[in-house]
Amino acid sequence: MSPTRSLGLAAYAALLRLMPRRYRRAYTRESLSDLAAILADAERFTGETVVGTTLRACFDLVTRIPGEWWAELRPEPARSGRGAHYGRPGIGERIMNVFRELRLAARTLAKRPGFTGVAVLTLALGIGANVAIFSIVNAILLQPLPYEDSDRIVQLRHHAPGIDLPELNNSPGMLAFYREYADYFETIAAYGRGQSNLSGSDEAARVRVVAAEPSLFQLLRVQPYMGRPFNPEDATEDGGYVAILAHDTWEARFGSDPGVLGRTIELDGESIEVVGVMPPGFTFPDADVDLYRALWIDPDGPFGEFGMSAIARLAPGATVETAQARSTELIPRVPEYFEPLQPQFIESSGFAVSVETLRDRMVVDVESTLWIILGTVAFVLLIACANVANLFLVRAESRSKEMAVRAAMGAGRGSVAASFLSESLLLGLGGGLVGVILASAGVDWLLSIAELPRANEVSVGAESLALTALLSVVAGLSFGAIPMTRYVGTRFAAVLRDGGRANTSGRERHRVRNLLVAGQLALGLVLLVGSGLMLRSFAELRAIDLGIEAEGVLTMGLHRNRGEDAGLSARFYADAAARVAALPGVETVGITTNIPLASGNSNGGSFNIESRPRDEGELPPVAMYRAVGPGYFSSLGIPIVQGRDMEAADWEEARRVVWVNEDFAHSFFDGDPLGERVAWGLDTDGEGPPGPDEPWAEIVGVVGDVREFGLADEDLRPNAYFPLVVDGPAALEIQSAYLTIKMSDGQDPMELVAGAQRAVREFAPGVPISATRTMADIVSEAMESTSVTMVVLAVATAMALFLGAIGLAGVISFVVGQRTREIGVRVALGAQSGDVSRMILRQSMLVTAAGTALGLLGALGLTGLMEAILFEVSTTDPVTFAVAPFVLVAVSFLATWLPVRRAARVDPMEALRAE
Amino acid sequence: MGSDAANDAKRGELKTAWFHILLALADGAQHGYAIRRSVKERTQGAVKLYPATLYGSIRELSERGLIEALEGEEDPDEDQRRRYYRLTESGRDALADEVGRLQAILDQARATRALSGA
Repeated sequence: MSPTRSLGLAAYAALLRLMPRRYRRAYTRESLSDLAAILADAERFTGETVVGTTLRACFDLVTRIPGEWWAELRPEPARSGRGAHYGRPGIGERIMNVFRELRLAARTLAKRPGFTGVAVLTLALGIGANVAIFSIVNAILLQPLPYEDSDRIVQLRHHAPGIDLPELNNSPGMLAFYREYADYFETIAAYGRGQSNLSGSDEAARVRVVAAEPSLFQLLRVQPYMGRPFNPEDATEDGGYVAILAHDTWEARFGSDPGVLGRTIELDGESIEVVGVMPPGFTFPDADVDLYRALWIDPDGPFGEFGMSAIARLAPGATVETAQARSTELIPRVPEYFEPLQPQFIESSGFAVSVETLRDRMVVDVESTLWIILGTVAFVLLIACANVANLFLVRAESRSKEMAVRAAMGAGRGSVAASFLSESLLLGLGGGLVGVILASAGVDWLLSIAELPRANEVSVGAESLALTALLSVVAGLSFGAIPMTRYVGTRFAAVLRDGGRANTSGRERHRVRNLLVAGQLALGLVLLVGSGLMLRSFAELRAIDLGIEAEGVLTMGLHRNRGEDAGLSARFYADAAARVAALPGVETVGITTNIPLASGNSNGGSFNIESRPRDEGELPPVAMYRAVGPGYFSSLGIPIVQGRDMEAADWEEARRVVWVNEDFAHSFFDGDPLGERVAWGLDTDGEGPPGPDEPWAEIVGVVGDVREFGLADEDLRPNAYFPLVVDGPAALEIQSAYLTIKMSDGQDPMELVAGAQRAVREFAPGVPISATRTMADIVSEAMESTSVTMVVLAVATAMALFLGAIGLAGVISFVVGQRTREIGVRVALGAQSGDVSRMILRQSMLVTAAGTALGLLGALGLTGLMEAILFEVSTTDPVTFAVAPFVLVAVSFLATWLPVRRAARVDPMEALRAE
Repeated sequence: MGSDAANDAKRGELKTAWFHILLALADGAQHGYAIRRSVKERTQGAVKLYPATLYGSIRELSERGLIEALEGEEDPDEDQRRRYYRLTESGRDALADEVGRLQAILDQARATRALSGA
């Protein structure tokens, strides 16, 4: 049985204990074996998750509890003979007492709004944080994707680590190969994404387009909301002439006009017919899609050109594991299928395929982070419970006489227990209620700061509410049980006699309180270490030399229609740059096809070096390239290390020159590449180097390394920069280019936005403008996942420390209050106030030391789980492990300080009179 | 007749879960999980009886004398521990009454053309 299932059963069994005894006797066995069967079904073949089903069953149980108790306590029980034997006289009455107790508890709590408020808020923080994170984890990690039978949809990817291409998508050739041989796939569909200019309506707009093979919708088993899906004939080599709108686009841009079918829209200057609208809520591959077009894949396409994503639906009987295994077995046959491809290329490049469920691929970036955050907030809830338990203990202490009186007047121990439990249960439910409100606000906040996959599916839904109910009841019962166990067994006479001071049971209570506080501090320290590690990761990220000066730079994307002449586009971009450069406050304007850290697509591949012809079968070197205009290097502060900067004549005359970064220079030319000639554009099939007439480009400059692709060290790659337009294989179809606008000293780049947009619109009204952002924003976005985790952990840690400090302060000040008489006597007998302070501080620091030791052990055990989300920081980072305990000790010292000051000022006369 | 159950039924207050359980038992004795399964099948998954609702309803129905547990009669093929339940006479009556009541409502609705789709 899976651990989730056993856990679900255990939770249900625990909740069953809340049912009347009669019900439990009659039905526990059957309920549990039924639930086991239901969960097994859920796991095996329904679309439901085990967690969801468990929560629904638990919710069902919780809602039935009052009714079952009512049936138990009803004045005239309509029972048949069956249950009569257990009905010991008086049981109904005793349980009626529970209800009376609940009412009494509500009144008692209402009379102490301070205590009640603190307890409810503390629990609400703990429960709210858990429900919020659970809502996100549930939607993103636990729920199946919103496609039919989604766990049978897999994503295909390839890898060639041997030629420095660890991540490859799919090529037309490989797709054809799988279509031929991989019978364990029912359907395969390739797709790619891009952007197009949508015109025809009032203002030219940039729309996000997913081009997908017609088989995609069939694979996802989805039908359009209106109109028809793509037919195979829709996909033609030139991109096709039909489009299907996403539902949101239909609403926002076409006003939900039912007459949109058959209408013609202008996409990149071409007339495209709208043939369908997808159903509301449907998006693929994520929410960032405005419309779909049909994608044509050449069935005789080459092995290379790994540009497109692909998913497949498993054929009946196949599993992800078998599909992976059989695909791997197929790889050695790839060279047979593609004639010129050498078998040793497959081997030396380490060419491999991976088959993973689409869900796993979608959440891979956030999975470990989310689990860690869920674990963190679970800690916060534990701390909150410990805190409230402490408040309870303290309060119980002050009520010990009341309890003793009640006992002396004939109240049974059960009734005393019931009075504690009913109060704690009410507090738990109150905490849950406020917690849900906090949770929905928390979810909104988290979604606003974090870029999460499947974010559109997140909500505080029924399952989250069931979890809230569960947490409220369990939390309420657990912290209520702690003081209860201390009191139910107490000899009440002893309490009555000495008022709960200076006796054994009193000391035991101190021990429980101290343990609770030590436990809280330990949990707090674990969180402190966790967020310390995140903080260090973030500092490491900030310390990276990106190779650019991001401050004071504005970026702006300009987009031409597809299929336009490259020379024409280049001239347009140069004109736009010149106009923007003329604006006041602008220092330099550069042009590039790819902004560092921002534009995902980059060109690149194997290239040839003229002076170094390759041997037969030798692997070609691989590097990325992009096109830039004059001014690009200086606008981003990229230093020219060797050679010269780019000048206008380089592209006006279409000179065959190229700049490379230092990594390139060192990887391929031992740092001295000037004058060497290189050429891209040959495929990996290895058809030999270009001839003398081919467009070799001469390396005329070396520039500093820029982290173009990501922040980590391994993201630094050999990179080349061509002038915006050159002929030959390296010519880029420049559909999109970005201006990098460097402001003069101290000017805010965002102030230029309106002026720059106006300047471009004036001479090119139909050209959409996008990505108007500062370079500094782009950089901080690249650090986002780390910084969001850090913020969340920091908030959780702050909550934990705050609660822990309150707990400690509460306990210390209570102890001081309890010992007022003793302190008074000591001071009367000549103790200095310093002695008194030391005495109390010593006690508090002992508890802190115990908590610190425990916490360090816990942190050492748990930070290993964070490995995946840390950046260049060890999970046992000595700095963090040294500093965190200091912070903890400082906080607990502060929490002790106020009560100690009070103790030191005790007036002996007052203290003695207090008795 | 004249039992609680018949009165409940006459007032038209046979709870949904009760009705489905009685209907499931109309064809013969079943154990709890089998009741859940047949209700789920009959309603095409619309009504799912989770254990607490199922056994809470079974308790209520037993107390009203509409169903009874079979002691000692066990299906040797199935899990030995499961208890079987069957309809009593008044259970059968209550079910018939409820069906009649629903039929009457349906007839009325038809008569007032609420269902004619116009």
